[in-house]
Amino acid sequence: MGKSKKNSVNRRDFLRTAAAGTAAFVAVPGTAKAASLEPRGGAGTPPLLKAPVADGRLSVDVLTVDHPGSDYMVDVLKSLDFEYLCANPGNSFRSLHESLINYGGNVKPEFITCCHEESAVAMSHGYFKIEGKPLLVCVHGTVGLQHASMAIYDAFCDRVPVYIILGNFSDAEYRFGPVDWTHSAQDPAAMIRDYVKWDDNPLSLEAFGESAVRAYKVAMTPPMMPVALVAGHELQENPVPDGANLSVPKLTIPSPPAGESGAVAEAARLLVAAENPVLVTDRIARTPAGLAGMIELAELLQAPVVDRNGRMNFPTRHPLNHTERAGSAIASADVVAGLELTDFWSSVNSVHGQVNPEFRPVTKPGTKLISITANDLYLKSNYQDFQRYQPVDLAIAADGEATLPSLIEAVRREMTDDRKRMFADRGTKLAAAHQRAMQAARDEATSGWDDSPISTARMSAELWAQIKDEDWSLVSNCQFVSRWPLRLWDFNKHYHYIGGEGGYGVGYGAPAAVGAALANRKHGRLTVSIQNDGDLMFAPGVLWTAAHSRIPLLTIMHNNRAYHQELMQIQIMADQHNRGITRAGIGNTLVDPAIDYAKLAQGMGMHGEGPISDPKDLAPAIRRAIEVVKGGDPALVDVITQPR
Amino acid sequence: MRYLILCVAVLAITFVCSAARAQDAAAKSKEAAAGDAEKGKLVFSSAGCVACHGGQGQGTSLAPQISPPPRELPALIAYVRQPTGKMPPIPVSTASDQDLASVYAYLKSVAPAAAASESLKGNADNGKRLFLSYGCYQCHGYQGVGAAIAPRIGPPPISFAALLRYVRTPTGQMPPYTAKVASDQDFADIYAYLKTFPPPAPASSIPLLNQ
Repeated sequence: MGKSKKNSVNRRDFLRTAAAGTAAFVAVPGTAKAASLEPRGGAGTPPLLKAPVADGRLSVDVLTVDHPGSDYMVDVLKSLDFEYLCANPGNSFRSLHESLINYGGNVKPEFITCCHEESAVAMSHGYFKIEGKPLLVCVHGTVGLQHASMAIYDAFCDRVPVYIILGNFSDAEYRFGPVDWTHSAQDPAAMIRDYVKWDDNPLSLEAFGESAVRAYKVAMTPPMMPVALVAGHELQENPVPDGANLSVPKLTIPSPPAGESGAVAEAARLLVAAENPVLVTDRIARTPAGLAGMIELAELLQAPVVDRNGRMNFPTRHPLNHTERAGSAIASADVVAGLELTDFWSSVNSVHGQVNPEFRPVTKPGTKLISITANDLYLKSNYQDFQRYQPVDLAIAADGEATLPSLIEAVRREMTDDRKRMFADRGTKLAAAHQRAMQAARDEATSGWDDSPISTARMSAELWAQIKDEDWSLVSNCQFVSRWPLRLWDFNKHYHYIGGEGGYGVGYGAPAAVGAALANRKHGRLTVSIQNDGDLMFAPGVLWTAAHSRIPLLTIMHNNRAYHQELMQIQIMADQHNRGITRAGIGNTLVDPAIDYAKLAQGMGMHGEGPISDPKDLAPAIRRAIEVVKGGDPALVDVITQPR
Repeated sequence: MRYLILCVAVLAITFVCSAARAQDAAAKSKEAAAGDAEKGKLVFSSAGCVACHGGQGQGTSLAPQISPPPRELPALIAYVRQPTGKMPPIPVSTASDQDLASVYAYLKSVAPAAAASESLKGNADNGKRLFLSYGCYQCHGYQGVGAAIAPRIGPPPISFAALLRYVRTPTGQMPPYTAKVASDQDFADIYAYLKTFPPPAPASSIPLLNQ
């Protein structure tokens, strides 16, 4: 008969006692089949435990465990208030998986089944940028982590915290066969250590509790980045030891680092004294407070804002939004303040040349540069996402959003009546320039209005017409549709835009959109993604996840039937090499056969229409899809588009 | 990674890219009086135009060729007052409208003589085929509609001679198309194809662009 494993014998004890280790398993009738090789666990692993007898022979099976270590792990993870767990299942975290859905009731976190670890991480990435807190992601040993790695890199570059539990068969004595060996690593997090902020491999439950809470705290302190925590298979599956005095450590997230008062005062002095200050933003608005703070600062100074759009930093139709005339604004500036800029250098320099790049400043000589960024607080060495070094006149190593209130107050203190009058005059001129730039964008959008394939401007305008009266949220990068939504739509809320990949890694778009839609679901927002075709093909299974978990998301395909960025690059190479200029499509296009994304969506169990190539057919198709999304399900409309 | 190298701001192309924007503003600009080419040469230098466009407007790696001027004077004036991209604005205090008229005259006077290729007649059908197979559509769109990375060129905003000069020795990120891979006749055909497209309607006539 079976025996319940209490808290005194673990499998290490058993194996050490058993006369012949693995041979003992072989000798036990009925275990050979169970030891057959099956990836990802499932039914293939042997019965969990067998109790030894004094002479080393096996007699009574230990078939159950009353209180596995993974239950305690769930206690800890629940204290961190994760809403969801995104994972593709794997036996290196099977005990934790079971504890989460049974002991933890599959509530906070609720398991979201993902078809690829890259999708799980990217979903967490998109979710964070809406919700402001991470999801829990579990990945399976060596294979799961390698699948996840590109998405982790994107999140790292985008300064987004992703919380990863990494299953591993840490102790070789607990590996049941070659699959477990293959899926194990001596130092599992080593391969991602260059692009996570912190990782740990705790060897006891007590240490797991502390490290789990510490990991959350580290991830959520600017500059935010992914963290990884190894959960050993044996630590999960063995019972909590007798007498263990386990508790859940209290989480206290540090207040984000704000700028030093003297440096902030100097920044304010420079900004107020400037004739043409420009505020350049990228990721300063981490929360709605960041967006409100940016509006307050810009209006106080009547200074133009040039937005690099890493986050929803500034309303697109605000008279001080001068992103459309960024070059002119920066070229005429006497002070440029970079606020959480990922790449300050490219904001004040330009690159020229065809074969050999030439670099030139775009600012006037003597222009003062101010930088406020948490990136100055923490850098990693290997990967070069930190961009070219830009000398500045004043560098404030601090979180931009946290520094805004003190900067605003310092600016107020510097203001005089004369400066206020001058600022008002400047604001009037800037408002007029903004209007001209907006009109220029609308004029430009008319090009190819009725053409087929459909212009990205027309597609964006048609989509805007259908969503503008809803509580909408655009969760895709606008870069690849010539930024038309940002040029034509009225973005003014924190969740109206979430920026892009961070690391420019293809395959982020679809899962990040699903993750963002998951965050928007409880708020009742209409989540919209303009989805690049090549990106979706990296891991289209995330559409199934959206359908399965009833995540309402409107996907509008930007289907140019190519990895178009690379197509242009190869065309450039052929032109520069003076040969084969008609062959650039080899290796870059997604044709013959053309992919039918509507059928792909339908095959995943969701609404799909298209392909649509006549612009007149767009509006009705979008309206039908929105009805589906409003009913709580995802929908996709395939649009055949101009390349960009 | 694999993205965005082309998305680095394309300073030189923006001048051409802004043709459509400038046209609307240009309609509101009054014609300046006929310019003085000699004076224009001086203004071209003193206003700093030579730094990016070269002494005779022949173009450099920083900015495109502008001799002969690719558009009419009112559009030119409208553009330099309120430029886009990285072209700095030139205020009236630096160059008056009359000064710019003189610059315009200067640029026309130093323009290279029309090449024999200018007289080539194009075949629009073949031009359509070449526009696709030579990859022009990749940045400029299937009908030359343009995008953030490259300007609208259907219908072409510049003369055939200017286009031919530009594709042989382009600036910005536009790759070179040498005579080794594409003949003058090929571009005459492409030009004919691009001329088949009407100018876009004004934004004010499209309700979706006024919401």
